[in-house]
Amino acid sequence: MKRVFEHPPEPQGGKKYWRSLDELAGTPDFAASLEREFPQGAAEFNGGDVSRRHFMKIMGASTALAGIGLAGCRRPEMHLVPFTRSAEWVIPGKFLFYTTSRPAARGYVPLIVSTYEGRPTKIEGNQFHPINGGHGRTDHFTQASILNLYDPDRYRCFKNASVDTDEAAFIAALDKIIVDYSANQGEGLAFLMEEDPSPTRERLRAAVMAKLPLAQWCVYEPLGGNTADAELTAFGSGIRARPLLDKADIVLSLDSDFLSPTEGTIEQTRGFTDKRRVDEPGHKMNRLYVVENRYTITGGMADHRLRIPASEVGVFAVQLAAELASQTNDATLAGVAQSLGKTKATASFPEGWIAELAKDLLANRGRALVMVGSQQPVAVHLLGAAINSALGALGNTMAGILPVSAPTAKIGALADSIKQKKVSTLFILGGNPVYDAPAELNWASLQESIPTVIRSGHLLDETSNSANWFVPRAHYLEYWGDGRSSDGTYVAVQPMILPLYGGWSDIDIFARFAGLPKPAGPELVQETFRQIAGPVPDFAAAWNRFLHDGYLAGSDSSTQRSLFFLSAATGSAIGEKASLNAVSGAGNYEVVFTPDFHTFDGRYNNNGWLQEAPDPVTRLTWDNAALISPVTARELGVQNYEAAGDTIEITLESGAKLEVPILIAPGHADRSISISLGYGRTDTGRVGTGAGYNVYPLRTTLAPYYVFTQQVKFTGGRGVQAITQQHFNMEGRAQIREGTLAQFAEDRTFAKTMGMDEELPKAGNPTIYTHPPFTGMEQWGMAVDTNTCTGCQACVIACQAENNSPIVGKEQVINGREMHWMRIDRYFASYDDTDPDPEMLVEPVLCQQCENAPCETVCPVNATVHTPDGLNSMAYNRCIGTRYCANNCPYKVRRFNFFDYTQRPIYPVKTPFGEIGGLHLGPLTTKGSPDPIKMQRNPNVTVRMRGVMEKCTFCVQRIEEARIATKVRAGASDNIKIPVDAFQTACQQACPNEAITFGDITEPEAKVSKLRASPRGFRLLEYLNTSPRILYLARLRNPNPRMPGADKLTSFQKKEKGGFAAEPSGAGDFSGGPR
Amino acid sequence: MDAPLDASVQKIPLVANQRSMEWVTEKVSNIVETRTPFWWWIAFCITSPIACMGLCCIAYQISTGVGVWGENHPVGWAWDITNFVFWIGIGHAGTLISAILFLTRQKWRTAINRASEAMTLFAVICAAIFPGIHVGRVWMAWFLAPVPWYEGVWPNFRSPLLWDVFAVSTYFTVSVLFWYTGLVPDLATLRDRTTSRVKKFFFTVFALGWRGSNRNWRHYEMAYLILAGISTPLVLSVHSVVSFDFAASVLPTWHTTIFPPYFVAGAIFGGFAMVLTLLIPARLIYPQLKDLITPKHIDRMAKIILLTGCFVTFAYAMEFFIAWYVGNPYEKFAFYNRIWGPNGWYWWVGMLFCNAVSPQLFWFSGCRRNLFVVYFVCLCVDAGMWYERFIIIVGGLYRDFLPSSWHMYHASWVEVGTFVGTFGIFLSLFLLFMRFLPMIAMSEIKIVLPESDPHHHGEEHGVNSGASE
Repeated sequence: MKRVFEHPPEPQGGKKYWRSLDELAGTPDFAASLEREFPQGAAEFNGGDVSRRHFMKIMGASTALAGIGLAGCRRPEMHLVPFTRSAEWVIPGKFLFYTTSRPAARGYVPLIVSTYEGRPTKIEGNQFHPINGGHGRTDHFTQASILNLYDPDRYRCFKNASVDTDEAAFIAALDKIIVDYSANQGEGLAFLMEEDPSPTRERLRAAVMAKLPLAQWCVYEPLGGNTADAELTAFGSGIRARPLLDKADIVLSLDSDFLSPTEGTIEQTRGFTDKRRVDEPGHKMNRLYVVENRYTITGGMADHRLRIPASEVGVFAVQLAAELASQTNDATLAGVAQSLGKTKATASFPEGWIAELAKDLLANRGRALVMVGSQQPVAVHLLGAAINSALGALGNTMAGILPVSAPTAKIGALADSIKQKKVSTLFILGGNPVYDAPAELNWASLQESIPTVIRSGHLLDETSNSANWFVPRAHYLEYWGDGRSSDGTYVAVQPMILPLYGGWSDIDIFARFAGLPKPAGPELVQETFRQIAGPVPDFAAAWNRFLHDGYLAGSDSSTQRSLFFLSAATGSAIGEKASLNAVSGAGNYEVVFTPDFHTFDGRYNNNGWLQEAPDPVTRLTWDNAALISPVTARELGVQNYEAAGDTIEITLESGAKLEVPILIAPGHADRSISISLGYGRTDTGRVGTGAGYNVYPLRTTLAPYYVFTQQVKFTGGRGVQAITQQHFNMEGRAQIREGTLAQFAEDRTFAKTMGMDEELPKAGNPTIYTHPPFTGMEQWGMAVDTNTCTGCQACVIACQAENNSPIVGKEQVINGREMHWMRIDRYFASYDDTDPDPEMLVEPVLCQQCENAPCETVCPVNATVHTPDGLNSMAYNRCIGTRYCANNCPYKVRRFNFFDYTQRPIYPVKTPFGEIGGLHLGPLTTKGSPDPIKMQRNPNVTVRMRGVMEKCTFCVQRIEEARIATKVRAGASDNIKIPVDAFQTACQQACPNEAITFGDITEPEAKVSKLRASPRGFRLLEYLNTSPRILYLARLRNPNPRMPGADKLTSFQKKEKGGFAAEPSGAGDFSGGPR
Repeated sequence: MDAPLDASVQKIPLVANQRSMEWVTEKVSNIVETRTPFWWWIAFCITSPIACMGLCCIAYQISTGVGVWGENHPVGWAWDITNFVFWIGIGHAGTLISAILFLTRQKWRTAINRASEAMTLFAVICAAIFPGIHVGRVWMAWFLAPVPWYEGVWPNFRSPLLWDVFAVSTYFTVSVLFWYTGLVPDLATLRDRTTSRVKKFFFTVFALGWRGSNRNWRHYEMAYLILAGISTPLVLSVHSVVSFDFAASVLPTWHTTIFPPYFVAGAIFGGFAMVLTLLIPARLIYPQLKDLITPKHIDRMAKIILLTGCFVTFAYAMEFFIAWYVGNPYEKFAFYNRIWGPNGWYWWVGMLFCNAVSPQLFWFSGCRRNLFVVYFVCLCVDAGMWYERFIIIVGGLYRDFLPSSWHMYHASWVEVGTFVGTFGIFLSLFLLFMRFLPMIAMSEIKIVLPESDPHHHGEEHGVNSGASE
């Protein structure tokens, strides 16, 4: 393999040094000879009369002669070559941390990235950033985004007309385009981009616009939602709403999944859960009302939940606005409700729900907040804005921030231009419109009709494959950039590694258009920084501070809070600008298009960690499905099986059809079908190929969120589904314990006597064994607060990234062999099995690090033993894989490597006997994982081979790292106790809600010790006397006592003491039993 | 197929039809000495490919990973350990017949002890395959051996799995010695009769210079008695230790104190059924054996099956009673699930019908005498005992404490192939045994002939007198 050295570019300007006249002239011969300066692996000799053949003859003879004396009989010598010029501050074997941030449409996510010898390995939230409040928070998309950097399917070259080419050819082509369009001011040139609140990108775009004023600009986000449009109407241009959940005591979600990373932000979920920490007396807890069609993680956190079809949410909002208006005599609100309520659609809601809700909202004026689902029609958003205005939310529980980017055209407008042949060159920067553009645009053929399409993307996907040029796109860990986080704070994007495949970012392309060279460093971002930071005394120091902190202090738009309002005049104008189109009752069923937990809108389709992270609600992996309620399933005559669902065919009036397997979802609205977008990709990498069903063909500009069906019928077929949890019923075992706030006020230790724990001896469980000697200086333990855990799975992915856990593929998930060291158990609870409105509960389960660990006594080879500091540790090289430990683990948290998951392909491999799963072929397949994947692995954690048991170790590598650091610091002194809360486990660090707290439980100052003192604490399966080191804190709900159904929770507990009643009928038990 | 039973079965002497010592030598040795019968080749051509298939499945599993089986995260053990316990259980009858019945002077054992001891060895060989191959890293299985110089780590002596290794290996060693000791006089007989030089060489080597002298017999009987004494506790200990694999755990339905006697009774139950499963066809093939393995033997073995069957039935009932009585909801659920859960029919068919109900036929002497009925019951018990172990192992795992982890288990073809393959190995070994070694202990039979006891002491009083029960 010929190695091409990537020499750093010559600095521009200044003296030019040259070695020979050839170099000065830049002859191609000289350039070739430079490349050959280090002829390692060079295929042939330069000149001379020694041919390769001749050389081989001589070498062969020498080897033969050497062999006679056996002098060469030794291992081949290999040399480790150190960096000749190391990256700054690199100490081999130690991590280096840099701040950066991840681009996201709803605000950049501030991050700190661990790099190891020049390669990023792990992403954490930036705890210094104001939205994070001292705790690094992330979501599962952010945690998994590092895998996209090392995706082995990223296309590694430029491509022109299906032929691989190089960057120089692209630059030449690009320069020609620039020259050509400069002549006509950009007429016929169009850009289709992703939404990206990056000031530098916006600044360069403005520069390009100034140069090419006739060029067309379009931003398309398939799941962008209607929020921005509505805000433009409600608040006038220039202001975006920023909900402040930490200020809201009463929150109403109108189909808004604001706690989930698919719709909300980290700031929102943190703000919400911070209001649910109630251990100190006098703490108040917020109350959440959720109106939605399917269970979302937001619905799971609700104190009151109303399940109605998504198309009826508008009607609900109108009725609520009318009720609020009548209770307050608010003329503006009444006007909006009246003007928007002119629809014929009716829907009835449980009696008293709206009235009591309105009362509760009004009683908390200035502390109430209404969140509207981003996909809901503009009219519902406008109603939400009007209600928020009437409730005094604006300026109190909702702030305004300035948007980064100027409005651009919609994709429909761009499509029209293309149809009219007004576009001759289209740049598609990111996105994937061939796959995800509204169906009626028929984007694939539109794109074919454009003479030149230049696509910047990561993979050869649907859009890339029909573009003229493919430009590798830089991952955000590869380029210099900047952005605004969800609160408007200016944040930095620093590269952690040179672009692996020479990728270009949007900034690079726009810079070229603006007449600047491709930036080699941060100079363009520095320019933006200079503008945003204003005049600073010492620019270098300010810039370094910015990079060090990752954000620019005081740069949020909090000053905008007072600038936005909804005036009475705007209120009355709303009705003219929008209307609630006919809603429920129009069709057979409604089909709701939802963002996908795994792939979002399809963009993370080739990310194995995300594909295998179970959906928090359905526990489905590697797939999407039509979620329907048990009642709807009975109507359609379909059911779920152990690892499959009956397939239904959905036909729309437009004639569009989709066959998709169903998944019965407890708590789903009847006559409503939810299907997530982002699956059924035709051109993607090896991970995403063949997964799921493409729903985009049903989705049009006019009906982007829900559509009514003409016919839904059972096809008689079945689709295979990989669900990680087959049983939804808690069986009255009180694994998760919950009570109401009122109950908690009465009996603060209510959680301690639920389930079997009531039978425990008062003096505690007696034990006939002596504990292992806990002689360590620190004793590690954890507290998990189920009251703030939403079940978002950020911890699951963080654990996978930190601990090198493999993905196993759909077939293995069906076999129950997923390798996650931690899982989020999800249960449904209801009063009886006919209750269509079960409650949803989640609970993270990881190794409980039992003091009397059942796994340790049964391992015949001592591969799992206790450490003096209280860890139940695993010695992988001692383990022979009897699996006895896993059998004897009551929490079932041990994971066995049934196959060589890190070494063998998990996808089907072609053989003469058809396609067979690569894992099953064992030694007949190729061995080894793709190189880029290896670069992600944490060097401090063993990559486990097949036949070995593994499990959570409380991130023992982090413990040891902290211990070594402490000992180094201590020097000769005796002070070798690790400082309090000096480090965090991966799951704790990733949790956006601080639901997981780890630390030294013998140290009274440690956060974990304080939490473990909570009266809500209980341990899983306490009666077994395994004495776990993980303490769970019981969940609390804060129902409004006047609401219908408010006594539901307490009535479960009366029925079955401390436990939970039967599972919802028709759902739940997929474990193959008679139903 | 059977001789008409005019007299009561109990009146049948240990060797029917007044056969002489010479007759015994002649007829038993004949089985080994005649030309290999055609049926044997047919049988061997069936069993040996099955054995090879089993070995191929094992090779595939070891080269590719335990994942080729159907096991998953809650269900870490399934057919592998089920088969292990099943085969170990089969192996119990042999030692019980050789050791305990010997010590208790049950002379009727002589007709069946050789074959059942051989069966024990082959069953233990089949059993030993499974713990060996079920581990994830077979090549590291030697960590189980107490060799502390590797990493300075001893095995974990608290683990029942380690006790298992010791118990099974001890059992196998003692069983081999016991079987071989009993074979020595018969090997000498064959050595003296054979004309083939090759056979003569091997029989000479393995007969250890037996001359039938008084001194030889004294040593022989002492050795046999000592080995019987050593083996007797092993009969009880091996399956008790196997049951500790489960009893020492925390899982509902595993964590029970009644497992040791319950498992031992079950092992004897299944073992006797397997002895009959093999000997009834052997009697058909070699009609001369009908005089040695008489309806009386079958009757007594049926009675033992009935007795141990009642033990296990009682144990089954006690499990349910205790689950109800202690009031532990996990335990209660597990037993409820055993009957009414998705795999409930395993219990109804395997445990209830095969193990508890079908042996009750043996209360009736007519059923004990009807070889069709006996054979049917034995097949039921063979299958039922496999199901019992499967229900205990997989049933305990697939739905345990946290319902979120519950997961069904489905066997893969490799597991099924491996299990069927062990039958191939077992039967092939048994066929080879029938061809090359005397399947009836000739010397012992001769001891119980009336001629050996001219003073009419003991059980068999003359040719026509019945046994004194």
